[in-house]
Order: sequence, then C-alpha cells, then structure tokens
Amino acid sequence: MNSPESAQVDTQSHATALGYMISAGVWMVIGTFAGITAGIELIAPDLLGNIAWLVFGRLRAMHTTIVMFGFAVTMLIGAAFYIVPRLVRVPLFSEKLGMASLFVWNGSLLAGVVALSLGYTQSREYAEMFYPSDIGVVVAFVLMLWNLIVTVMRRKEPVLYVSVWYFVGGLMLSAATYIIGNCMWAGWKGAIFGMPDAVIHWFYGHNVLGLLMTPLAVAAAYYVIPRAAKAPLYSHTLSQIGFWSILIMYTHIGTHHLLQAPAPTWLKLISVVDSIAMTIPVATVLVNLWMTAQGRIGKLTQNPAARFVFVGTIMYLVVCIQGPFQSLPIVQRITHFTHWIPAHAHLAVVGFVGMIGWGTCYFILPEMTGRPIHSKRLANLHYWLMFMGVVSMMVVLTISGLIQGHAWYHGEGVYRVLPSTFLYNVMRVMAGAMIVVSSWIGLYNLLRSIPQAGGARASAGEVAS
Amino acid sequence: MRMSLDVVLGGSLLVFAAVVSVVVILPGVTISDKPSADYRPRTELENGGRDVYVANGCTYCHSQYVRWIDWGLGAERVALSGDYIAEQPNLLGSERTGPDLSQAGGEHPDDWHGAHFHNPRHTRPESIMPPFAFLESNRLEALIAYVQSLGFKLADARMERQRKWKKPAVEAFEAGTEANIEWLHGHVPEPWRELPNPYPTTRVGLERGKRIYQGFCIGCHGEVGDGMGPAAARLYPPPLNFTALNGRGATGGILYYQIMNGITGTAMPYFKRELESEKIWAVGDYVAVYFIGESDADTEPKGIDAAYEVEEEITYR
Ligand code: HEC
Ligand code: HEC
Ligand code: HEM
Ligand code: HEM
Repeated sequence: MNSPESAQVDTQSHATALGYMISAGVWMVIGTFAGITAGIELIAPDLLGNIAWLVFGRLRAMHTTIVMFGFAVTMLIGAAFYIVPRLVRVPLFSEKLGMASLFVWNGSLLAGVVALSLGYTQSREYAEMFYPSDIGVVVAFVLMLWNLIVTVMRRKEPVLYVSVWYFVGGLMLSAATYIIGNCMWAGWKGAIFGMPDAVIHWFYGHNVLGLLMTPLAVAAAYYVIPRAAKAPLYSHTLSQIGFWSILIMYTHIGTHHLLQAPAPTWLKLISVVDSIAMTIPVATVLVNLWMTAQGRIGKLTQNPAARFVFVGTIMYLVVCIQGPFQSLPIVQRITHFTHWIPAHAHLAVVGFVGMIGWGTCYFILPEMTGRPIHSKRLANLHYWLMFMGVVSMMVVLTISGLIQGHAWYHGEGVYRVLPSTFLYNVMRVMAGAMIVVSSWIGLYNLLRSIPQAGGARASAGEVAS
Repeated sequence: MRMSLDVVLGGSLLVFAAVVSVVVILPGVTISDKPSADYRPRTELENGGRDVYVANGCTYCHSQYVRWIDWGLGAERVALSGDYIAEQPNLLGSERTGPDLSQAGGEHPDDWHGAHFHNPRHTRPESIMPPFAFLESNRLEALIAYVQSLGFKLADARMERQRKWKKPAVEAFEAGTEANIEWLHGHVPEPWRELPNPYPTTRVGLERGKRIYQGFCIGCHGEVGDGMGPAAARLYPPPLNFTALNGRGATGGILYYQIMNGITGTAMPYFKRELESEKIWAVGDYVAVYFIGESDADTEPKGIDAAYEVEEEITYR
C-alpha cells in the first residue's frame, strides 16, 4: 500500500487543477519578467528613468510576491487538487468550490501586486501584500482546505499516502502561519512593534519556505518519483519521521535570519541548533525518495517530467547543505547581507520548488488529459533552460556574495565594492534570461497540452472554467 | 503510527501551537520594551518620511542594524533592541545593496540628500541606487527629515553640527571667492596648511587620481573641475570651482585634509572611510595638476622618501 494508486483512466474535468497550473504558468511569465527588469535596474539604474511604479524597491516586492505565491505555490496547489483526490480514489469534492478558491487566490494576488506597484505595501519581505489581499489569501486557503479535507473524508482508500499528509497539513499550517505572520489582527499596518515584529516576520518568512513551499514540493515528489520509477515507496517509517521532524524543526528556525540583529540570544541558539538538525527531515525525505528509485534512475531521467522532479530533489539537497552551513554565525559574518543569500534563495525557490512544480505539472498532465504532453522536445528545452539558468545564477551570485562579504569584513565600504559586483549583476541577468525564456516555453507547452486549449482560450487564469 | 486524517491535522496543529508559543509568543512577551538611551520618538514629519521609505522599498537595499563586525557608515554604534521599540513594521532589512542606514542621520546636510535622491549618480557617480526624482516636494522633504532622524539623539547631535557650520559656509560663499577660500583654508589646522604633497607626481599616480575623481567627485566638481557637475544645481553652497584655487595657496596638505575630513555643513563629504591615504594623495594631486594648474608635489619639507618612491621626471600639461 506504500505507493500511489496505479493509473486509471479518469473522466473528471480537473478544471481546478488545470486552472491553478495555468495561472502558475502565467504568473511565472509575469514574475520572472519583473525579476529581470529589477536585475537590469541594478546594472542600469537610470534606464527606466523616473517611473515610480517600476522603481527597484517596488519591482522587487512584486517579483518575489509573484514568483513565490503566484508561480511556485500556485503550481503545486494545482498539483494537490489533482493528486489528493487521485490518492484517495474519489473525485474532488467540488470543482465549483475549487474554481472559487482559484478566483479568490488570483484576485488577491493581482490586487496585492497592483497595490505594491502603487506603493501600498506592508514592507516585510514575503508579507508585503496589503490588508485586503491578506484577507483574500486566507479565504482562499480556507476554501482550498475545505475542498481537500472533505475530499479526503469521503475517501475510498483507507490508508493515507504521505503526499496527502503534506498537502493537507502544509496548507493548513500555512493558513495559520499567514494569519500570525501578517499580524492580521493589526489591520492595515500588518505588523507589531520592534524586535518582536522582526521575530514574527522571520518566523513567517521562513515558514512560507518551510511549511508552505517545502511540504508542497515534497508531497509532489513523493507522488511522482515512485510512479515514474514504477516502484513502491521505500519506507513508510521514514516518511513519518520526515513529516513530523520537518514540522518540529523547520518552524523553529526563523531567527537564523536575525542572527546578527539584537534578537534574544536563546532564540538565536534554538534557530542555529535546529537549522543543523534540519538535516534529519531533509535526509529522511531524500533517502526515502532515492532508495525508492534505486537502480531505476534511468527511468527518471529519460522523461523530462520525472527529470525535473528528480533534479529538483538534488537541488533540495544542495540547498539544505548550504542552509545549515550559512546558519552558523561564523559563516554569516561573511554571507549575511550579500548576494550569497539570493543565490541560495533562487536555487531553493526556482531549482527545488519551481522545478518540482513544473515536473509534476508535466507528469500529471497526461494522466489528466489522457494524452501525451504537447511536445516532449519543448519540455526538454524548458528543462535545460531552467536548469542552466538557475545553476548559473546561483554560481554567479555566490561568487559575488563572497566578494562583497569578504571586502566588507575587511573594511571596504559598500560603495567601494559596487563596481566589483557589476559584472556579476550582468551575468545574473543573462542567467535570468534563460529562466525567463523557459517560462514562456513552459506556459506555451502547458496550454497546448490541454485539449481544445488552443488559440482563443489561451488567455490566462479564467481559462479552465 | 497510523496516519489518519485526525492524526495528521490534529497532530500538526498541536506541534505548531507548541512551537508558536515558544518562538513567537515567548519572545513577544519577554523582549524588553525599554527604549535605549539614545532613543527619541520621531516627529510627525519624520514618520511621514518613513512611510515614503516603506512605500518605495528602500528596505530591500538598506539594512537598519549595525553589527559589531561592521565598518563604514554608523559602525561606531552597534544596534540595540531598545532602538526599535517604535518600529512598525520593522525595517531591519536583509540585504546591503547600499550601506546600512541606522546612523545615516546628520552624515550629510539636507541639500546633499536633495541632490542624491534626485539622482544618486550626481553625488555618487558609481551608485546603483534608483533615482527618486518622481517624489513630490513635500514627500521628498519628509523623506529627508526621516533619513536625518536615523540614529535618534546621535543623529540630532550630528544635525546640530551640520546646521552650525552651514551658516558660516553660506556666508563665506556669499562673500565672494577670495573670502570663501580664505574661510575654507582658515579651518584647516596649521601644520596641514604648510604641508606639501610629499609624493612625486607620476603618470601612474595621475591615472589613479583620475579614476578616483571619476568615481567619487565628478558629479559635484564637474568634468573640468569647475564645480559645475550635475549635482551643483541642488547644492548650496555649490561645489568648489578648483580653478579658482590657482595662486591661492592650496597646498597638498590642504587638499588632503579637506578630502579626508570633508567640510561639515556643506555637501562636501569626508572620504577617510572610503579612500586610503595613497588614494587621497593621488586624487589631490590630480586636482592640483589638472584643475588648479599648480602642484607642490615632492617639494620640501617632505622627510625621508618612502621606500617605493620613483625618481621619475614627469612633464605634465
Ligand atoms: C537598488 C538599491 C537601492 C535602493 C532601492 C535604495 N538605495 Fe539608497 N543606496 C543604494 C546604494 C548602492 C547606495 C550607495 C551609493 C550612494 O550613496 O548612492 C545608497 C546610498 C544611500 C544613502 C547615502 C548613505 C551615505 O551617507 O552614504 C542614503 C541616505 C540612501 N541610500 C537612502 C535611500 C532611501 C531613502 C531609499 C528609498 C527611497 C533608498 N536609498 C533606496 C542603493 C539603494
Ligand atoms: C556632493 C558634492 C561633492 C562631492 C561628491 C565632492 N565635493 Fe568637494 N566640495 C563640495 C563642496 C560643496 C565644497 C565646498 C564649497 C564651499 O564651501 O564653497 C567642496 C570643497 C572641496 C575642496 C576644498 C578646497 C579647499 O581649497 O578648501 C576640495 C579639495 C574638494 N572639495 C575635493 C573633492 C574631491 C577630491 C572629491 C572626490 C574625492 C570631492 N571633493 C567630492 C562638494 C563635493
Ligand atoms: C521562478 C523564478 C524565480 C523565483 C522563484 C525567484 C525568487 C526570488 C526570491 C525568493 C528573491 C528574494 C531573494 C532574497 O531576498 O534573498 C528574488 C530576488 C531577486 N530576483 Fe528572483 N526569482 C526568480 C526568477 C528571477 C529571474 C529570471 C531574475 C532575472 C534576473 C530574477 C532576479 C531577481 C533579482 C534582481 C532579485 C533581487 C535581488 C536583490 O535584492 O539583490 N529572479 N527572487
Ligand atoms: C535545511 C534547510 C535550510 C536552512 C538551514 C536554511 C537556512 C537559511 C538561512 C540561514 C538564511 C538566511 C541567511 C541570512 O540572511 O544570512 C536563508 C535564507 C533563505 N532561504 Fe533557506 N535554508 C534552508 C532551506 C531552504 C529551502 C528549502 C528554501 C525554499 C523553499 C529556502 C529559501 C530561502 C530563501 C528564499 C531565503 C532568503 C530569505 C531572505 O529574503 O533573506 N531555504 N536560509
């Protein structure tokens, strides 16, 4: 019983799952465009003249909000709306409710991003969206959860597969984190005061990564890898250890973003210790997945969909070796505040979460539509561009981060080091261009893979209804 | 363990609640809310400026906490928890594309900020900070007031000093070139005034001086050293026209001292944090040779020649 149900032809509409995935594709196109524009502004700050709503500080918030919530999370929620019903062998409780949640979700993000461009922001990284969008996001989470939980309650399958725990548990705790992290009781300000605000902020900031994105991506990998390798999951016990330990460890470590700020020392200590302990959940998940695929790696790498997911898990390993390392105070003396951090961030969110998202999308599309994806070649190209883009961005930014960090540590001022980072900022844009192009290919391929989704229907979010 | 829906949902909620009480609620109630000694509340205008700071995402490029390992702007004062009691939302920041701003208040006079926000490249030629010329004048004024308040009482003390010296600087400027230069040089300590540049003028040195000039000075003092850089329109007193120094006793020591120390009250910043001694001598000599048209480099008294000094005869102009 340890592996996902074998394929059965199904006749559901999957409107919700498709709707989320298409929205994610569209958001990625917009979000990476914002990213590359921000990157260009760092090379040529006067290029866009004095356009207020495109100023770097606003564009950056738009970029992170769109790619993290609009793309990475949305893609994997789409996957959840297909995978959860599939694993419990009943149709989704309500496609209508699903479409309603999508509508609220996209609407809140869109409003939030437009507000950001107009300068309405709550300012805390990843919690920038203004109050109405915060409310919308929570409502959307509740609608999603309602839908998924009722689906699970009506299940025909007695055993809940590990993907279901992660999807449902992760979304539930994310809703809770979102309310706490955005200080929603504080209304429009969306923040409390002083250092406690910073502590909550990074509790939230890290939970967006660790309680929302990571569980969703891991859940998807737990679905795709056993199926693609055509092998039962290696160990039920390991999945349990992985699940409970990530909940316990990951939620404790937000303060590693504040190690050098005047936060309480005991809290910093907890965060460093648990950051190192994060190797436990990471190792259990990866050992479990890779042992499942042992001897069958070839099956995973032939097919672009499974390759995306498999390589995503490798990225997860790299990110989570880097993570505990950069949580050490002695390392942070060099890495903190530098480009090293966006290097880690892009590897994590693009390489790990984003690649697993696209892989899962490509993997479940044929199951949903009953026919192969539009073009395997385009999917391969998509894979290579995204992979090369994110790896080169990571390398370039890591080098530039080390240059900054060492120079500052030895007494050079920020201004003096700017010219040394110029070249790397240029290369970051070149690396980013690969990711931007990959997003166009991905969206095109996705739209063309959906029956009768050609031409006229190709217009964004409202499509799948 | 059998992972039923109840176990998954109930169990994870329990774990989450436990964690929240330890890492969110406990710090929330135990972090002291006593203000630090240097703290003072912000004025309404300054708070308005803070909103402009928030709206334009300054926080993505500028941190607001100084660490004990830091050098540079504000590094004399390491951040304390009590500095932040009124911060809502916190603006600690997570990246330093630009310098830390927690002690930015009073580093520069208001006119420097006006020129800098209009286009940062005007005062800082290699900056990558975005231009904020789109801000209406009242919002710009508020933003500057906010930046000048960063550092609380320490910032107020620095602002006091800026204001104190602004007045005589303006008066001197308005009294005409001769008087202005006299005033400027009058504040340079005696020994520096008499000190020639102890190093010889070399081709390499001039090349270096030029690079420094283009990276640090050109926006104010202008391409030809006439004080007509793009920032000049927003600075009062305006940047010095170096050509006026010809024949007015601007020794290497005076140039060095002014570049090192800046002229508080005017937009002329101090460069001792950013430029090492060799670079200050080099840019000073570049200014002397190309713009003032006379250099006392390598004249007596200069002590024992430094080990590396070359005996290069160089003809300039
Ligand atoms: C793209 C990143 C970026 C953004 C956004 C940005 N800055 Fe800067 N800022 C810099 C850099 C780089 C420097 C150093 C070079 C310079 O002085 O221009 C700097 C310098 C400064 C300085 C001068 C510090 C000193 O005394 O040397 C101030 C003050 C400042 N910024 C304020 C702001 C404010 C206020 C905002 C928002 C309205 C802002 N910055 C937005 C990058 C940025
Ligand atoms: C933000 C504009 C600005 C920048 C940048 C700037 N200056 Fe100045 N500088 C001024 C102003 C303003 C004065 C004083 C004018 C007055 O009071 O009449 C001044 C005065 C001076 C003086 C004083 C001359 C004397 O005889 O006392 C020297 C020397 C000087 N600058 C050199 C430099 C050099 C070298 C650089 C670059 C490393 C530089 N400045 C960068 C604005 C600037
Ligand atoms: C789906 C793809 C992408 C995701 C998920 C993503 C995610 C992120 C995240 C999480 C950050 C914040 C980093 C931090 O605070 O440390 C960030 C910043 C940034 N990203 Fe991306 N990004 C993506 C694509 C791109 C692309 C294609 C570019 C183009 C060059 C780009 C350029 C930038 C820039 C310039 C910043 C600001 C960095 C800074 O402040 O110094 N991103 N991105
Ligand atoms: C073992 C696991 C991990 C550890 C210990 C870890 C550790 C860290 C640390 C210490 C920082 C902040 C560094 C600093 O500011 O100096 C950081 C930043 C970041 N991490 Fe991780 N990380 C881990 C995994 C992940 C994963 C899985 C993701 C994505 C899903 C991720 C995404 C990010 C992002 C986006 C940032 C940038 C935050 C910012 O805006 O400053 N990390 N990580």
